[in-house]
Formats: sequence, structure tokens, C-alpha cells
Amino acid sequence: MAVLRINGKEKVFDGSLPATLSELLITLKVDAATVVAEVDGEIIEREKFDSFYLKEEQSIELVRFVPGG
Amino acid sequence: MDKLIIAGKEFTSRLLIGTGKFASNKLMAKAIEASGTEIVTVALRRVDIENENDDMLSVIDRNKYLLLANTSGARDADEAVRLAKLSRAATGINWLKLEVTPDPYYLLPDPVETLKAAEILVKAGFIVLPYINADPVLAKKLEDVGTATVMPLASPIGSNQGITTRAAIEIIIEQSNVPVIVDAGLGLPSHVAQAMEMGADAVLVNTAIATAADPVAMAKAFKFAAEAGRIARLSGPAKAGDKASASSPLTGFLRGSEND
Repeated sequence: MAVLRINGKEKVFDGSLPATLSELLITLKVDAATVVAEVDGEIIEREKFDSFYLKEEQSIELVRFVPGG
Repeated sequence: MDKLIIAGKEFTSRLLIGTGKFASNKLMAKAIEASGTEIVTVALRRVDIENENDDMLSVIDRNKYLLLANTSGARDADEAVRLAKLSRAATGINWLKLEVTPDPYYLLPDPVETLKAAEILVKAGFIVLPYINADPVLAKKLEDVGTATVMPLASPIGSNQGITTRAAIEIIIEQSNVPVIVDAGLGLPSHVAQAMEMGADAVLVNTAIATAADPVAMAKAFKFAAEAGRIARLSGPAKAGDKASASSPLTGFLRGSEND
């Protein structure tokens, strides 16, 4: 099964995983320009989203800025 | 007015604005503009992958405002350091409002974890502005590990109680070699003026502006208060006394006669 753990929740993909981080964001309809990504605890620079290939069961954190004091 | 200098960078405004709790991003942008601020704080949170997310940064002109990411939500030093690194990856800037608030009711900052995180982050090249309780000893220790400012709280976050920690903040101001930014609990422009009159270098306001009936007008009121308080501080306030001291001359009144 094609599974990733995204923001603490399991996400199952029909068929195969999105190949790269960029493709994952497109699938999730999240604008890459506004997001920071961490894969298995390691921060992935935005310029590397295109070339970062995903593997089964990886744990991905996607965060962004929100209003706050 | 004299400039505020933090980590070598000059600012004209001494009012920092938090971006939380505004009814809309548009209103937030207008209030920021009206406040005259040059530094705005933001938080970092998980993307909601089930729903559409608003990009708040699209309404903030990054050439005009310094984005000061906070570490709100962090309960210990490790979480704060992790958030700091994510923020830096997101903005490309290393300025950080460090806050470690494990207590959900009063949101009071943890002094031990804050100091620990500050030390790690300063070494990692961050410009650290730590949110702290009004503790003069802690403020000194943070300065010693290299934080760019200290940010003592006036009263609990969002409480609008004004300055309940006055005596301790006065000691911090007296002893500090880095700018003192009074943060949290400032509910009215008069509270801000008070903090500035006491000698604070700057103030941070969020809730009092964001939840006012007219946030844009309130932002303006806070701007004037910060300016008025700073000018008053620099003008050498007159002494308070126990008895009246007549403002008008007491001689030459129209009673009796000088020829009596």
C-alpha cells in the first residue's frame, strides 16, 4: 500500500505514491511557495522539493505561517 | 524620534505588532499599516491538508515589515529549537521571538527551557528575542548568553490587564544592556505610554488591537501612545510630590491692597 504519514496522520494513496515532494503538494493542493517541509525530522529546502523523492512510510511535516503574537 | 536599534538594525517605530486574532487578513494588513510598525510577529503551524489554507504572508509586504516568527506552541527547548529552524527555512531570516509556554492557562513562559533554547539558538546564529516573565535575574542571564533583546511580560498574554509587573520591569530596564520590549497584556494605549515612560525601548501589542471594535483606529491610537511615551521619557518627566505646587503665581491676586 502507498502510505505516508503526513502531519501525524496516515495518508493512503490510490496506486503509487507521488514521486516527489513537489508532486505530493500538488496532489494535496498545497501551494509549495508557502510551505516548509520536514521529512523524517530533516528540513527539506524549498528548492529541493522537485528533486526530493518520497519513499513508503515516510513521516512528513508540512507547516506554514499563520497569524500569531 | 530617536531610533530603536536591535542587533544592529535600526527601526523608527517602537511598536511591534502581533498578527493573531484579526477578523480577516485584510483587516490585519490595514491595522499593521495604521500602526506604523516595522516588525510583525507570526506563528508556525501544521498545514491543514483537508481544507484550503489562507496564505497570510500574501498581505504582508516583506520589504516594509520585518517578519518575526515566534515559537508559540513550544513546550520545551527542543520544540522551540525545531520550530526556529523550520521558521528560518521558511523565511530565510534568522530573527526569532523565542517563547516556551508549557502552561496552557496563563501561558506563562518557562524560564529554564527558554534560557536553554536561547543558548542553543544564539550559537546557531539566530537573533533571539525571548519572551519572559518579568524576572530581572533571568533577563540578565539571557543577555549574557547573547539574546538581542529581552521581552518581559506586562501581564498574561491577551489579558489586557496592563502592567502588573511594574516593579520588576523597572529593574530589568535599569539593568539591561539590550533593548527591553514589554510584551503581553498591554490592553490600552495608556498602558503602552506607561511602559515607554518607564523607559522600555519598545512594546509588542496584539490582542488589544486585533479584538478592538475598530482595529485600524486602535492601531493608530497605540502608535501615538508609543510615540508619546517615548518622547516623555526622553523629556525628563517632572517629579511627583505629596502636596500641591501652584502652577499659577500666588502673588499679585486681586484681594486686599498692597497699600494696606
